[in-house]
Amino acid sequence: MHIPDGFLNGRTAAAAGALSLAGLAVALRRTRNLPPKRVPLMGLAAAFVFAAQMLNFPIGGGTSGHLIGGVLCAVLLGPSAAALVISCVLIVQCFVFADGGVLALGANIFNMALVSSVGGYLIFRSVYRLLPGSRGRLVAVAIASWLSTVLAAVVCAGQLALSHTVPWPVAVTAMAGVHAFIGVGEAVITVLVIHAIEQVRPDLIDPSAPSPMERRGFELIGFGLVIAIGLAVFVSPFASSAPDGLDHVAQSLGFRDHEAAARVIASPLPDYRLPGISSAAIGTALAGAAGTLMVFGVGWTLARVLRSRQTDLNVDLAASVNGAGPTGRDSADA
Amino acid sequence: MTPAVNVNELHYHYPNGPAALRRVSFTVQAGECVGLVGPNGAGKSTVLAHLNGLLPDNANAKGQVMIDGEMICKKNLDLIRKKVGLVFQEPDDQLFCPTVFEDIAFGPRQFGLPVDRLENLVRESLARVGLDGFESRAPHHLSGGEKRRVCLAGVLACEPDILLLDEPTSNLDPRGRRQLIELLAGLTITRIIASHDLEMILQLCSRAIVFDGGRVIAQGPTRDLLADADLMRAHGLECPASLARDPVAPEALL
Amino acid sequence: MHTHFLDTYSHLDSPIHRVGAATKTILSIAVIVTLVVSPPSWIGYAAAGIGLLILATASQIPAMFLLKRLIMLEPFVLGAASLALFQPHGVPRFAQIATRSTLCLFTLVILANTTPFSELLHVLRRARMPALMITTLALMYRYLFVLKEESARMRNARASRTFTTTNRHAWRSMTTVIAQLFIRAAGRADRVYAAMCARGWK
Repeated sequence: MHIPDGFLNGRTAAAAGALSLAGLAVALRRTRNLPPKRVPLMGLAAAFVFAAQMLNFPIGGGTSGHLIGGVLCAVLLGPSAAALVISCVLIVQCFVFADGGVLALGANIFNMALVSSVGGYLIFRSVYRLLPGSRGRLVAVAIASWLSTVLAAVVCAGQLALSHTVPWPVAVTAMAGVHAFIGVGEAVITVLVIHAIEQVRPDLIDPSAPSPMERRGFELIGFGLVIAIGLAVFVSPFASSAPDGLDHVAQSLGFRDHEAAARVIASPLPDYRLPGISSAAIGTALAGAAGTLMVFGVGWTLARVLRSRQTDLNVDLAASVNGAGPTGRDSADA
Repeated sequence: MTPAVNVNELHYHYPNGPAALRRVSFTVQAGECVGLVGPNGAGKSTVLAHLNGLLPDNANAKGQVMIDGEMICKKNLDLIRKKVGLVFQEPDDQLFCPTVFEDIAFGPRQFGLPVDRLENLVRESLARVGLDGFESRAPHHLSGGEKRRVCLAGVLACEPDILLLDEPTSNLDPRGRRQLIELLAGLTITRIIASHDLEMILQLCSRAIVFDGGRVIAQGPTRDLLADADLMRAHGLECPASLARDPVAPEALL
Repeated sequence: MHTHFLDTYSHLDSPIHRVGAATKTILSIAVIVTLVVSPPSWIGYAAAGIGLLILATASQIPAMFLLKRLIMLEPFVLGAASLALFQPHGVPRFAQIATRSTLCLFTLVILANTTPFSELLHVLRRARMPALMITTLALMYRYLFVLKEESARMRNARASRTFTTTNRHAWRSMTTVIAQLFIRAAGRADRVYAAMCARGWK
């Protein structure tokens, strides 16, 4: 999914670059206090990703696929380290092998290091929370691998469409379609590799991870925000332009005055567009981004309020988990 | 005179593992070249790691290691690491910088050498090991012997008082091996060499220490120990060919 | 696939090689930005192409080598560009995108092969890239080849003991190799850490 130069226009490349920098800033902040012992592992892991990507998996008919490694990295190293590692892999691939463009580096980093790897990790953690245990973990890995691959492809399609290089319907069909297949391979390989490592060296799987009960707080919220804004900027402009469900119902029931009613409570963002911005796409993108920020702001405040209530609960729960028996943390599983 | 190295009743086991060293005691005087011999797993590499302060002094270790009369502890680790240079068994593990220059400059840089003197130091170190002009080479373009010599240059650039070498001639072709032996023979600093290459130990080391199962089995003049066929065989070793043939003056035969 | 070309020709001594890494990087980016931002123009592309060919010749890198690098990456460019066919005025659009992208690719290939990676790292260091990323890049570059060789050895070892050729078996085999590769990489990371500490790293 490495986008070469010449496919993204200046604006899209710049937006992606800005988002990548924001995401990397979150990752760097989290790894600020990385124990020195883990530093060489980052470099070795990056070399590993590179080497692993070169191994061919026969599909049949002479074609073969290969591992991308986003979720694999995130599960093994943690999201922030994975984001940095994958970014470094992309930088080397760009500057040493011309695989992926220089201007497109921002987009490639956003798509593969943030959406695919970190986003995949977010999905993994959510599913894992619902399905704890070693089997649940593998299922979570599989779902996260597939979903994050497809999601990254959709974002990539959005970037291509936003640059007027490829029309959206073509881009999304081709990218999402192909990656729906690739995602299956990715899921299978990632699950098998994690399983194999689990058998031999379970201690290698994200040793720095907080237990499932703890939150990573700033890290996850920071990443989540960056990814969400990216989705809003690159994908939401292409969300259906047909009137959404509620609107449609209102029209069919003859609520002709609903427009007038809306103007009484003047929405700051009429029709999901910012006033004064001529280009519909950019206007929608910005509005989407602003909307996301607002939703996130509300959500974050809620989460903090809830967490401060939960914290006491968590402490007791954690204590009981650690003291009681083989529940919660996987290393306790047989 | 204070010995350069004084190990006293060193007892160590790796976390969650059996004892790797059991009541190891020996001394090395300044300027000596001592060989550590023994079968695989005897503890030779572990001893070397202790001498460089690489193994954390925690509940797993008992006993003392003294370098130049000073005991190794957390506070003087930096000093120890400057005084004691360790050449690893695997050059690929030790040669971790993108170019030869950077790798040799790594140690001196860490120890605070001003930047303007680095270039000269690297050039001299390379010349010392016979690799002039290799500054900008990338490690993956080097042969095994060249990598070993770069590692040695990198350690010598730190100007240590004591040089530790872990299996320095492993994986070297005969020419590379000969070059390395000549190099080591030309050094005057204290050297401790752990190796299976008994001919080399015979040629370079005046004294040898036999390890087995984490213990010191015997120590003494190299020729006496290595010529003792029973001792060698009892601890997974063999008499070097030159001694087996003619117990007199092995150096003359090489 | 890639590592055979790892810095094979970056140490030649040509007028292009002698230009500082920072200058070359900035110029390359400038060229790419110009190509991307300016409106499509066949004359412009032709001029750029000729300019790049002159630079490539001056760099003394064997033409076949450069051609092979381009050919290896071109399918991705063409494949992605082919999506552009599915729109009004698709064909000229496809041609324009493909040409523009190939020119950018060519620029990058020349930059990559006239600049040793270690110099590129210096440029990034001076551009104030965070130390953790610089270290990661440096170590990654150093151990790419080592890990690639390790994986090749493991694959050979597997192949010499494999008597079935089903896809399923190949997949299981490959995933074990990848898992082993990571485990060994982690072990090596520990040893590299020890080596760094042994020479005074904090």
